[in-house]
Amino acid sequence: MLNYHEIMDRARSGPYIKEEDWDLQKVAMATRRLVKKYKLKWDPEVIVTADPGLADTIFEAGLELAKEIGAYSRSSERIIEFEPGELEEGMRLAPQTLVMGEGKDARTLYARKIMDERLPLVWAGNPGAPTPEELFLPSVMSWMQEPIVDLVTCGTLVQVDGREVRTGDPIEIISTRRELQYMRQGLKRVGRPGMGMLAAQSSVSELGDLAAAHPDYLRPCDSHLVPMLNELKMDNRNISRAVNSLEYGMRNASLPCVIVGGLGGDAPGSAVVNVASFIVANLTCLADYHLCHPIHIRHVATTTRSVMWVENIVQQAFARNAPCIIVSDIYPKSGALTRELLYETAANAIVITASGGHLEGCGSADGNAPNGTGLEARFMGEVGHAVARQNLSLEEANTLVLKLLQKYEHVFDLPGGNPGVPFDQAYDMVHLRPLPEWQRMYDEVKAEVREMGLATLV
Amino acid sequence: MLTKQEYLEEIEQIIVDGDEEEAAAVVAEALEAGLSAFDILNDGLMTGAKTVGRLFETGEFFLPELMMTGRALKAAMGLITPVLQAEFADNMAGSDTGVVVMATVQTDIHDIGKNIVASMLVATGFEVVDLGVDVPIKSIIAKAQEVNANIIGCSALLTTSMPFMRDLVDLLKAMGQRDRFKVMVGGASVTPLFAEKIGADGTAPNAIEAVQLAKRLIREQRQQQAVGI
Repeated sequence: MLNYHEIMDRARSGPYIKEEDWDLQKVAMATRRLVKKYKLKWDPEVIVTADPGLADTIFEAGLELAKEIGAYSRSSERIIEFEPGELEEGMRLAPQTLVMGEGKDARTLYARKIMDERLPLVWAGNPGAPTPEELFLPSVMSWMQEPIVDLVTCGTLVQVDGREVRTGDPIEIISTRRELQYMRQGLKRVGRPGMGMLAAQSSVSELGDLAAAHPDYLRPCDSHLVPMLNELKMDNRNISRAVNSLEYGMRNASLPCVIVGGLGGDAPGSAVVNVASFIVANLTCLADYHLCHPIHIRHVATTTRSVMWVENIVQQAFARNAPCIIVSDIYPKSGALTRELLYETAANAIVITASGGHLEGCGSADGNAPNGTGLEARFMGEVGHAVARQNLSLEEANTLVLKLLQKYEHVFDLPGGNPGVPFDQAYDMVHLRPLPEWQRMYDEVKAEVREMGLATLV
Repeated sequence: MLTKQEYLEEIEQIIVDGDEEEAAAVVAEALEAGLSAFDILNDGLMTGAKTVGRLFETGEFFLPELMMTGRALKAAMGLITPVLQAEFADNMAGSDTGVVVMATVQTDIHDIGKNIVASMLVATGFEVVDLGVDVPIKSIIAKAQEVNANIIGCSALLTTSMPFMRDLVDLLKAMGQRDRFKVMVGGASVTPLFAEKIGADGTAPNAIEAVQLAKRLIREQRQQQAVGI
């Protein structure tokens, strides 16, 4: 595997290009050409595809893009070029299993297959959602306590001790460590101290990430984010995150949030960019696993048709051509105490599970407010388990998703979205249980989804 | 030799196609042929830009198309702006466009939203000075003073970078410069309430509405200047 020094050297000395030219001439133009060359199309009525040829072609186009343009260092304005053999080696060496957490609470992530009958792992939480300090511990405990949950993550603290958290400010060190203290405390209180985490979400610059790399905070058996910037870009902050893992050994979650409708154009081009990003991230992010989190250019949510299609085809492309561990994010438009949140969660969980991913979520209300709870995380897991247990075919999965879309797609036309309510208005804060109205919605929607065809949803 | 209408239709189509080189060439030819810069702007360039904006809004066009149109417009505006400034200074003063200094504030490096808004502003006749990402607030203010901007537009995706937008407004006040500039703020987590709380002049949920807001602020500013506020 390519030595990381070599990647840093290339980031410093590769060919110079202005960022705007990288975006337009390299990413956008090359992707547009590949979409034409491979005649890539999508059908908004087929969100879960049953077309192996399409998945293979998307993969081929993505690999071609990665080989042709490589990655970009925003800090040095240089192209990080890769030899084809280096990219192929990166895929060959991608972990097929990965133990997260420790002791009796440890779980093993694995490279899932399309229509895999093994249960997907359930990674609960609302990564990055801005969360006031007083809501942080109860909200993370609301999903930590759910038996179906295997791994946990969390939002971002926006205040500590009544002070506003600012990126790159010394307070980022305090907030990231405080977040980890709450996470570890929460896990102990629910009796699952060894559970694996994706955390240090309050670290936006490298400062918090460095501050949390200590066994008292983020353990080597946990993971942290190594994001790529849109599109196919790194910078020294994110390179520092990868470097920070070298000796400490925590797991690297690559996170390229490809914008669907962005530089890649429509869904097929965005899928090509996402495939290329994962291939490159094996090297630039030292990815132990990949987070699949495309973003809709206007609606943000992962539950739009085009974004779910991208999650579906990217997972299938890798499952067939370069198996690796992919955890896919669910970021619904809707928030707590809305029926739509549950419909969105169900649709997205079906797409991810059937097409070969593990589940992470829910970043309810676009991950833009502390409006997430443990109940939708439970539902996400239950739906995912039912899909695997029932061995739902891709065609059956698509039929179900189309039915669910009818139930929630109107939220994308609501002027203010459908954010629901903050955690403390959906949960009983003393007993950490859903309020009766929220519980009732969950029971009703669950029965409805069972009736729609997910018979094993229990 | 093309007729006036044929020139305008061709320019409109070139803007929709986002052809930078062709835009400069045909606009130069049209000026040479005697078309007024104002007609080229309003009935060629802006008509094309509006079509692109509509296609982007309906999901038929994507970011690359918007960026290419922005480049084509920039090339065309480079030719017609001096003519407009020389011949139609009065009309320009009465228009609802102006100069916008834009930046993603310090510590934040997310710029897709800002870039879309910048492209739309350029596409609708604003002059945009885009300072890029991770820009210290004092540099944003210095540039706004230097280019005599009408509007400062700043964005942050990260909630933990949003406080720097408040700092920008506070620094403008401390410098006695608050009334000189309108301040627009944007970003995924920015709400009208946030904008109001920090003392900004407004925010918008998307690029189309951002342009409408910018035009409204320019009109307000000109009215305030007219009555000597």
